[in-house]
Amino acid sequence: MKKKKSIFARFYVALCLVFFYLPILVTIIFSFNSSKSLTRFSGFSLRWYQELLTNTEISKAVYVSVTIAILATVISTALGTITAIGLSRSRKVIRELLMEVNNIPILNPDIVTAIGMMLLFSSIGLVKGYFTMLLAHIAFCTPYVITSVYPKVRNLDPNLANAAMDLGATPFQALWKVIVPMIKDGIFAGALLAFTMSFDDFVISYFVSGNGVKNISIIVYNMTKRINPTINALSALVILVIVVILILAQVWPKLKKSRLNRIPPRMRSFIAGAMVMLVIVALYQWGAVAKGERVLKVYNAGEYMDLSLLEDFQDEYHCTVIYETFESNEMMYTKLSAGESYDILIPSDYMIERLIKEDYLQYLDWDMIQNKGNLLENVLDHSYDPGNRYSCPYFWGTVGILYDKTVVDEEDLKQGWDLLINPKYKGNLYMYDSERDSFMIALKALGYSMNTTDPDEIQAAYEWLVNQRNIMEPIYAGDDVIDNMVSGNKAIAVVYSGDAAYIMSENPNLEYLTPSQGTNIWYDAMVIMRECSEQKLAHEFIDFMLREENAAANTLEVGYTSPVTAAYEEMVEGDYAEISAYIPDDSNPRSEIFRYQDPKVKALYAELWTKIKAEQS
Amino acid sequence: MILLFTKKHTQFFIRREMELNKLIELKDLTKNFDDQQVLKGINLDIYENEFLTLLGPSGCGKTTTLRIIAGFEDPSGGQVLFNGIEISKIPPYRREVNTVFQKYALFPHLNVAENIAFGLKLKKMEPIIIKSKVERMLKMVGLEGFEKRDVTLLSGGQQQRVAIARALVNEPKVLLLDEPLGALDARIRKQMQFELKKIQREVGITFIYVTHDQEEALSMSDTVVVMNNGEIQQIGKPTDIYNEPENRFVASFIGESNIIEGIMIKDYLVEFDGFQFPCVDKGFEDNEKIEVVLRPEDLDIVEPEEAKIQGIVRNITFKGVHYEILIETQFRTYKIQTTDYAEVGRKVGLKFGPEDIHVMYPMGAY
Repeated sequence: MKKKKSIFARFYVALCLVFFYLPILVTIIFSFNSSKSLTRFSGFSLRWYQELLTNTEISKAVYVSVTIAILATVISTALGTITAIGLSRSRKVIRELLMEVNNIPILNPDIVTAIGMMLLFSSIGLVKGYFTMLLAHIAFCTPYVITSVYPKVRNLDPNLANAAMDLGATPFQALWKVIVPMIKDGIFAGALLAFTMSFDDFVISYFVSGNGVKNISIIVYNMTKRINPTINALSALVILVIVVILILAQVWPKLKKSRLNRIPPRMRSFIAGAMVMLVIVALYQWGAVAKGERVLKVYNAGEYMDLSLLEDFQDEYHCTVIYETFESNEMMYTKLSAGESYDILIPSDYMIERLIKEDYLQYLDWDMIQNKGNLLENVLDHSYDPGNRYSCPYFWGTVGILYDKTVVDEEDLKQGWDLLINPKYKGNLYMYDSERDSFMIALKALGYSMNTTDPDEIQAAYEWLVNQRNIMEPIYAGDDVIDNMVSGNKAIAVVYSGDAAYIMSENPNLEYLTPSQGTNIWYDAMVIMRECSEQKLAHEFIDFMLREENAAANTLEVGYTSPVTAAYEEMVEGDYAEISAYIPDDSNPRSEIFRYQDPKVKALYAELWTKIKAEQS
Repeated sequence: MILLFTKKHTQFFIRREMELNKLIELKDLTKNFDDQQVLKGINLDIYENEFLTLLGPSGCGKTTTLRIIAGFEDPSGGQVLFNGIEISKIPPYRREVNTVFQKYALFPHLNVAENIAFGLKLKKMEPIIIKSKVERMLKMVGLEGFEKRDVTLLSGGQQQRVAIARALVNEPKVLLLDEPLGALDARIRKQMQFELKKIQREVGITFIYVTHDQEEALSMSDTVVVMNNGEIQQIGKPTDIYNEPENRFVASFIGESNIIEGIMIKDYLVEFDGFQFPCVDKGFEDNEKIEVVLRPEDLDIVEPEEAKIQGIVRNITFKGVHYEILIETQFRTYKIQTTDYAEVGRKVGLKFGPEDIHVMYPMGAY
């Protein structure tokens, strides 16, 4: 009986361990993957560790995360501890009130804190960057320290501090030699909490940071589009550091006992010295950005540029580029509307139309862009910006169907979008989890305009999508489609042509179809914000990106279709010769460009799309 | 007012016989917490080498007085003079006094030796000197070999000794003790009383001792200061406090008493319970209302006809050394402690001599 129980107990423990540690194990294993896939192991290599070390963006982010976490931990621990001690000696009413007030930031959703802080920093005119991020981290870490230190202080004999002072200790000595050692468990717990809160914070950091200062979370979040095992390598290193710290925490007390009197003073001064160095270097970093002669702030989608181009540009034009990335056009718009300003933005067509309408942009001076002749004829003068008065194309493409040649019958391809409701492929397809793209498919399949505002047509599209959901049981996926299709997990997926090109380069079984009913032709373009203070530099940047060799490097790195003739042709004839997706089919008169959407229509889309997904069984 | 002067004069007279220097003077010391006045003008001189006890019920202001001397509280009014110098603004860590706290307040993260060495280390003394001083202290308090012990694992009495050693090692001019024996059980308390007195004689410094235990106060002190409601009730040698309580509060707080309202007919003659008795007290006005204290152990049981006051034995309890007998008389019930036995219901007389009668001012007379 007893034995049986213990087997069950062991099994249960094992299950827990597997549940906790399997994800970590998988992460570590794939950090050694020789290919880019996160799901298929193709061989051992240290390639991603090498990439990690050479990727300056990531190493900068690691630096920011670590220094912010350490500084925020030290400062908030000191603040919180002193506050807790002070609180324990205040009057009961004040004490209870303050403890309640202290709980509010802890219970407050991060997003509320984040936006509040962003607005605060904007309104008092603090330049967003390292310093604001540090301030925010100190602010949200301190309540945790207070919460964990306060109970320890409350349990102390109130005479201990008196006893120390009675024996000749100044108040500070009493604090340092008696009170702190006695509540050190609470302080340590608080510090640990503060460190982890700070280290993995994304939401607050994202909103309060700026000027290119990014921590690991922001980098990873912006990377999700093209997540690659560099992140696994980074995670593996973080895990390693944690393991080392845990082992040290076990071993340290024993070490300490054996050489009690010698190490601490030296260690203490060493730690103090290191801290001071850290602050100086951190402030220097922060100051250095502001100091460069000319500064250009660029805001682009994540994983959407060959970053070595930025370094080349900085060298050539003796300036500093502050490069920030967003995850979606809407997220970018939120930041702009909160008063954030940049010199150059790279949004999508419909967003450019909106920004023009809302007066965020200024005219381009095409005379300053000598390489304008490099642009393809057909990428210019489209509905979102007729005559390209505001925008210069950056990448372009279509939305289409990526399919597995070995599974999908060639005959079925004639169905175009209706391939997505062909029961033969039930349960074997990914839809793109985006209301506008999904409605585009339905509207096109039905022969309507994808920019329609006719409620009947929208209703028909809704029914098409409901019908598709019921027949096909599709998976509504995000950017994880890329990795899944590379691994060949399903036969059909709706993807952007640029992503399709990349996926096809990794998985030769796939082919790209631009449906005959027409599709979305999209353009992402560079625009200059009205507030831009470096007119000349901004135009030089655009010109720089249009240079043939730079455009070629960029398209090769990102995989999206270049609007620069020479780069385009080089790809079509060279590396991507076999990859049809690289050549967007803009010949079909039934294809369209997204227009700025009326908020009412947008709301209707959102409502219907939620219904479609919610009723998915 | 004249009365007040006389009283003060008496105290001065009593204590002048020590022929020693004043070390601490408290002058018209007051302390308010919020709206409450906990010290209402304390005047007290403390001498070198004196064992002085502040005695009183909880809330009487004795601990507050001690904390003001230590520097943990600021007085609301009045002065604290140390060797004639005002020290109320000097922080505790610069005063030449050390304190033994109620619950010892030992530092749990330090061992015995480290606790004792705490003050010396702050003074940046040589480790060798610290070590020898700590050893000497441990020897004095009888804890040799306890250097490395964890203080949280010591018994109450041992912790108390460490607390005393920790304070005395700094060689203060004055040692303040805030109910130091309160947390100990009765047997150890007796022993510690004895040892504290011994230590005080050894180191030869002033001890200011706070307690609510009258027996502790009487057995250890050179001088007892009885306090109540933020005021000093009486200052005197233990025997004077016991034998000549100045008012009903002192009389009832110090030992057990029979307290009887009466009239001082004239010097050496007092009237109570309907009879006049010769006594040894004088200096009251004629026919002044007074109170008389009769200590239970000063009363004897005699045959009814041998005494003026007569009554019936209502209760008798054996207390070890003596019996405690309750005798009901016409006006009140007297408590008597005697080695004689008397059965319940027996009619007896109450006998006492002139020197057993202590005349004092009634409560609230000044």
